Amino acid sequence: MKISLDWIKDYVDVQVPLPELMEKLNMIGMLVEDWEEKQEDVILDIETYANRPDTLGHLGVAREIAAALGLNLKKQEWPVAESDKRTSDLVSIQIKDRDLCPRYCGIMVRGIKVSPSPRWLQSRIEAMGLKPVNNVVDVTNYVLFSTSQPIHAFDYDKIGGKKIIIRRAQRGEMLKSLEEQDISLSEEMLVIADEEKPMALAGIIGGGASAVSEDTRDVFIESAYFNPVSVRKTSKKTGVSTEASYRFEREADISFPPQAAIMAASLLTQIGGKATQQVLDVYPRPKKDKTVILRSHRVSELLGLEIEKSFIPKILHPLGFGVREQNKGIWQVKIPTYRVDIEREADLIEEIARFYGYDKIPPQIPPLRKLEPTFSRLKNKKNKLRQLLFHQGFDEFINFSFFDPQKKTLFENSLEPIEIRNPVSSKASLMRTTLLAGLMENVAWNKNRGAESVHAFEMGNIYFWDQGRHKEQVFLAMVSTGYLGYHHWQGKREEADFFHLKGTCELLMFHLRYVPFSFQEKDHPYFQPGYSLALLFKGETAGHIGLLNRDIVEFYSLKDDVWAAELDLAILFGKQPQSFQYIPVAKYPSITRDISFLADRDICYQDIYDEVEKLSLPFLEKFELYDLFSGSSVPKGKVSLSLRFIFRHPERTLRTEEVDKPQEKIIKFLGDKFNFQLREGGKIDN
Amino acid sequence: MGGLKEKIEEYWHAFDEDVAGVKDEKSLQEIRNLYLSRKRGYITLLFEELKSLKPEDRPRAGKRLNELKAHVQKRIQKLAAEMASPEKTRKKVDLTLPGRERYWGSPHPIILFKEEIENIFLGMGFSIQEGPEIETDYYNFEALNFPPHHPARDDWDTLYVKDDLLLRTHTSPVQIRIMEKRKPPIRIIIPGIVFRKETPDPTHLPMFYQVEGLVVDRGITFAHLKGTLEYFLKTLFFERINIRFRPSFFPFTEPSAEVDIECTVCGGKNEKCRVCGGGGWIEILGAGMVDPQVFKNVNIDPERYSGFAFGLGIDRTAMFAYQIPDMRYFYENDLRFIRQFARK
Repeated sequence: MKISLDWIKDYVDVQVPLPELMEKLNMIGMLVEDWEEKQEDVILDIETYANRPDTLGHLGVAREIAAALGLNLKKQEWPVAESDKRTSDLVSIQIKDRDLCPRYCGIMVRGIKVSPSPRWLQSRIEAMGLKPVNNVVDVTNYVLFSTSQPIHAFDYDKIGGKKIIIRRAQRGEMLKSLEEQDISLSEEMLVIADEEKPMALAGIIGGGASAVSEDTRDVFIESAYFNPVSVRKTSKKTGVSTEASYRFEREADISFPPQAAIMAASLLTQIGGKATQQVLDVYPRPKKDKTVILRSHRVSELLGLEIEKSFIPKILHPLGFGVREQNKGIWQVKIPTYRVDIEREADLIEEIARFYGYDKIPPQIPPLRKLEPTFSRLKNKKNKLRQLLFHQGFDEFINFSFFDPQKKTLFENSLEPIEIRNPVSSKASLMRTTLLAGLMENVAWNKNRGAESVHAFEMGNIYFWDQGRHKEQVFLAMVSTGYLGYHHWQGKREEADFFHLKGTCELLMFHLRYVPFSFQEKDHPYFQPGYSLALLFKGETAGHIGLLNRDIVEFYSLKDDVWAAELDLAILFGKQPQSFQYIPVAKYPSITRDISFLADRDICYQDIYDEVEKLSLPFLEKFELYDLFSGSSVPKGKVSLSLRFIFRHPERTLRTEEVDKPQEKIIKFLGDKFNFQLREGGKIDN
Repeated sequence: MGGLKEKIEEYWHAFDEDVAGVKDEKSLQEIRNLYLSRKRGYITLLFEELKSLKPEDRPRAGKRLNELKAHVQKRIQKLAAEMASPEKTRKKVDLTLPGRERYWGSPHPIILFKEEIENIFLGMGFSIQEGPEIETDYYNFEALNFPPHHPARDDWDTLYVKDDLLLRTHTSPVQIRIMEKRKPPIRIIIPGIVFRKETPDPTHLPMFYQVEGLVVDRGITFAHLKGTLEYFLKTLFFERINIRFRPSFFPFTEPSAEVDIECTVCGGKNEKCRVCGGGGWIEILGAGMVDPQVFKNVNIDPERYSGFAFGLGIDRTAMFAYQIPDMRYFYENDLRFIRQFARK
């Protein structure tokens, strides 16, 4: 809200230097966001709050300043040149909907000449950043910016039947604005109508037909209180928002309309013309006074300091509150009607704190009476995952949760996406159903800026409809392309491949003790056919890992292979990991046997692993793939495959003969089951 | 033959000279052969000579000869050991060549900063809570004392899924969810992402991180709010930073406050300061005493309990803390930006 210091001085005699005034305003919660000197004046830009419509005018701001500086508000006189006619002789007012319009006042000024305003008035209007229009329009704006009470002027000649009817619009009715724009009205909207037609959208905007023009001689001034919710709804629905609607939807001062009408009449008659006698005031059910009980002990309890009891009325009085001590330390406070924000004791305590000074309240640390439950396991798990991924050389990225509908077909999955009704842009109209779209965006961004490799992960929610219910589920996604690690003068660099990513997934699963887990060859729409695995844990698919399909890679104009994985952490976190248990360190030496085979090229290692596992060989502690190759030394269609077996007895040293038997069993079994042939010199005893 | 004793002394002397000239394993081997060879070694020969001495002269000469043998063996052994050690065989390398650094992933600056914030509050006995990002109108607004058609809602530009379903505009709804479930005392922070209908620009984003705090107990005061937030800000920034509390408005707190910290970039001295705009202060937190209506909405008696709440934009604060001019950098995920925070 723009506030002219010169204008403020109409209400209160501010003498303090500007920096001091601004500091005072800041400390009572009227933050001066900006200020500029303008000719003789200073214009302050003050932050206002939705609950303080009274500060949307100079009078309200002056009231705060007066209270803060300990000054009195000046009394203002609004003399009116009256004619012999009473307002009611010339016009009638009928309120048809008292809920939407509890109070409506009017006064007439006749015989005016619409012309440019006097200089002083023009400069007031200019101070608000507006262009002066003519004396009638400028007066209505002056009253609004002075008092925050919006008023409206109608051309009396254009009021059909000289009747003002405040009613709801009828279906199909239209209002043509001054700018010739048609506003279509509906039944929940309140209009100001004459006998025939709506003349104005109540509290929002006047129609062109009844507007004041150069030929206008007599004007009818409206000063009313309209229901805030109704004004807001109508303003939203019609898309018309004005200085008036901004104030009415924040709630006007219900006792003020007659004064605002007088003020307008006074100003207009000073310029020319005569006003009718008495404001015509239709106020069928006057609002009762609002009183709130204030207890001094509550003030200290909430603020954490003892305030001198006599101080409380001293703060409240200048702000217009009526304070009456009911019992010792208990006051009955009458709330002025312009303070629509004050309803409860807490609201009054805020007033006391505001003018006592937030800076004078001593800081204290709240005592800890009871300990909070320790922080969540979920958070620990997420953190552990992050640390493991950093260790594996993955950088952490964060993307917006939005999703471009175009990407939805690119990253095909079965999830029904959640649509945003009023998105920031059409490219962000869905909520993401995969984290990979964002990460691929990042890969492209970095590659286009010269990055030779990108290894990154993101942890965050995906969103979807699940049988009509919205769901959000925490996922982890990884992408990996290009070289691993830094280039170094000493050596060859490893390039990202499937097994780097798979190894990372395995590491995560092992370290979070989601064991046993397994992988299964399974196609997935994100990945190249035949080039992806599903990660299984406790019978559920907890993720996919593979080579992103060409459509995706090419969509982002990338050439290189991109390896990617997406894990459903909600599934993993929902399951019990293996509990941690210390295993005694083996005391006795082990016996290692490496056995090399020739195997068919198309064997599946997972099958071999699973089958050997099932044999439950005695003393076998561990076995692993030791080496795998093909080439000129290996017959066509075959691969050379070495397995390493480690045997150990927990309670004594194992004898070599004891290992020979299981070893023979393995060789025979693999030969029978998978057509493995022992390579020449294939048995190596260590 | 009185000459043997002298010979021994001569060989002793000669050996010491010979051995001093040894440079490599080869010359050492030569000396070993020369003195110790089982057939023609000088010492072997001297022992032969010993046999021809008179029996009464033998012990003394023999003793001395044995001493010579021990001396020769010991010296040769020692030299051989010295020569065989890796220190002698190791090649000279240029130790000024660059080391091999392992590529360590970098945390995202926002998560990093979020953790710094969380750790301060964990130290003050707060626990960390989370809640849904897609919220109902009730939790996001109504329970927090935003009446359905109140203009206060305009300050929270909202992205809607349905009339009643929206992307949470703040992490405050989690306050309500926790208070519905738990009895005071409550001492929590709620970090998380929030959404606003904002077109991205250097200081606005449609999604960002926020951390919310809530303390509810008997006898919680505005002074506690001030003490907690002052401790937090002094820990996050530095001990002597200037902090200002000034009145503000939020529907869910009463009294409400906004917390500013002094601009450490210009100290309020640069009228065109990019960070504070010349005002010298930076708005950093919104806060206040929990509004009695909010307590009523979750069935906590505002006469028995009181509390305070606060909220802080993590992105905005991180921007200030790291002097980052554009908030969008956080979500571009440019490696040249993100990687810097591996060293934070």
